[in-house]
Amino acid sequence: MKGTLQVNGVAHDVEAPDDMPLLWVLRDMLGMTGTKYGCGIAQCGACTVHLDGKPVRSCLLPVSAVGDKPVVTIEGVGTTPAGAKAQKAWIELDVPQCGYCQSGQIMSASALLANTPAPTDADIDAAMAGNICRCGTYLRIRAAIKRAAGTQA
Amino acid sequence: MSGKILRIAAIGGAAIVAIAAAVGGWTVLGPGPMAFAKGGTVELAAYKGPSPTGVPAALRSASLVKRGEYLARAADCAVCHTVPGGQPYAGGFAFNMPFGAIYSTNITPDKETGIGNYTDAQFLDAVRKGIRPDGTRLYPAMPFGSYTYMTDEDALAIKAYLMSLPPVKSPPRANTLGWPYNQRALLGLWSAAFSPNKRFEPNPEQSPEWNRGAYLAEAMAHCGECHTPRNIGLALNNRQKFAGATNAGWRAHNISSDGDSGIGNWKTEDLTAYLSTGFANSHGVASGPMGEVVDYSLRYLTPDDLKALVTYIRSVPAVAGDLPNRVLTAAPASYKAGPAATLAGSGDRAGERIFAGACAGCHDWTGVSPLSPAATLTGTRSINDPGATNVAQVVIAGVHRQVPQDILTMPAFGHSLNDKEVAAVANYVTARFGAQGSRLTEADVRKLRSQAAQQ
Repeated sequence: MKGTLQVNGVAHDVEAPDDMPLLWVLRDMLGMTGTKYGCGIAQCGACTVHLDGKPVRSCLLPVSAVGDKPVVTIEGVGTTPAGAKAQKAWIELDVPQCGYCQSGQIMSASALLANTPAPTDADIDAAMAGNICRCGTYLRIRAAIKRAAGTQA
Repeated sequence: MSGKILRIAAIGGAAIVAIAAAVGGWTVLGPGPMAFAKGGTVELAAYKGPSPTGVPAALRSASLVKRGEYLARAADCAVCHTVPGGQPYAGGFAFNMPFGAIYSTNITPDKETGIGNYTDAQFLDAVRKGIRPDGTRLYPAMPFGSYTYMTDEDALAIKAYLMSLPPVKSPPRANTLGWPYNQRALLGLWSAAFSPNKRFEPNPEQSPEWNRGAYLAEAMAHCGECHTPRNIGLALNNRQKFAGATNAGWRAHNISSDGDSGIGNWKTEDLTAYLSTGFANSHGVASGPMGEVVDYSLRYLTPDDLKALVTYIRSVPAVAGDLPNRVLTAAPASYKAGPAATLAGSGDRAGERIFAGACAGCHDWTGVSPLSPAATLTGTRSINDPGATNVAQVVIAGVHRQVPQDILTMPAFGHSLNDKEVAAVANYVTARFGAQGSRLTEADVRKLRSQAAQQ
């Protein structure tokens, strides 16, 4: 495909094979390496970005399927209200350990917060279960989401 | 023994014989696979239209081996005569049945363990009558009841192709059938009753395209062997032609022209795409045995042959299925809403938890995938099957289609999820996205695994 991708509010001209995953385009063509490659089969969540506000796994999303829908990555999510709150809470609680999965965690968490401003534990389970953390920072992730939501100190 | 008991036994025995004869007569006299079509048939030699047999026009002048390769693919020999990941055509593929397993044979030209010594006559007898050179009978897992419609020329072209392959020394695996199924001599009776030993006869009142499609579907692709239910004698019941059946732990869906339960509502281009690429919008991805049919066979058909096949399949009369109508609308975006919330409300949230962690990333809580239409669950026949047979199998085995476009792959979860978890997630997704939630148990999943197992 040859076309324009809307990433973090900026239009990028892109020429790529139709079936190239969006993640490849973001990292290798546009130089946005904040989004990570984990498993490559949509099982770990490290590559999560927002497509039209929804969290999607960019490792399996063909770039030709993006069309004119806006893409938001970890580089741009701080400019959204939910993303800014999530990042602030993440820093305050020092959530990451090794950090590799955390871009994806923040993307999934900010999509959750945008739709569900005061998520319950069950809401957090449903939204975050597909994001895996090898270091086991799950308790801090949960606490940070609640802090960002203002439901926990 | 008193006279009274003897008399009852005699009456009972006579009744059983009479019922058996009646059932036998009904089945023996059952219609052939093409009998549904209006018009009579004529012998191939007397048919005036373009030849419905052989290879497509573009391949007519190709070598015998090349023609045989096309026909061997159309007849889908490879999928059953190859162990997944093993040497092509070397046999050993398992057919697991409730009464034991049958293993396919080596059809490479190895002289000791394959068909290297077969004469033309012996090859024709094996393929079309189910009789091996030593006179013993093949089990009808080998679809000789369908291949019997093949012409000499086409069967021998396939032989020439097989003989051109490298010989592989691979001794046959012993079948594990119990009595009486291990009595091969009984198969002679089966063949006499159910396998007509009859070549393809075109129907001049149907179009040339239909006749070509009939030959491809019946003599070659043997669609009915999986998609037509079997009678009490395990022969195809063509009164219910293409109404769907369960084989090897997978459900072969209704492909009669019934509206919702069959393919009556499918657009022709969707059907063509499904057969040639393994995927059609809103119908999902061909998986399990049907996926293998696409990979090994149908994707090699020429566009004209594909068109003929579709024409023929669409002409098969509607047989209403026993599955509920498909739900065509997406589930709610929130995990809290929707039919499966009731299931979760019962306190059992195992399926929902597994879905959140392993499935929602691709399939979404709505069932409409944001990643690929191939991963959309909404509207597919399998998600709307309250038996959840194929859903459970896809969870276990994943999807790995080798088609040129798009990414048609799903990881296999059979090793990471136990039987109870597979049941839980299958029950959850059929309730959330389908017409009716399944009620699979741990034991059901164990059984499904063993039926589809290849090792």
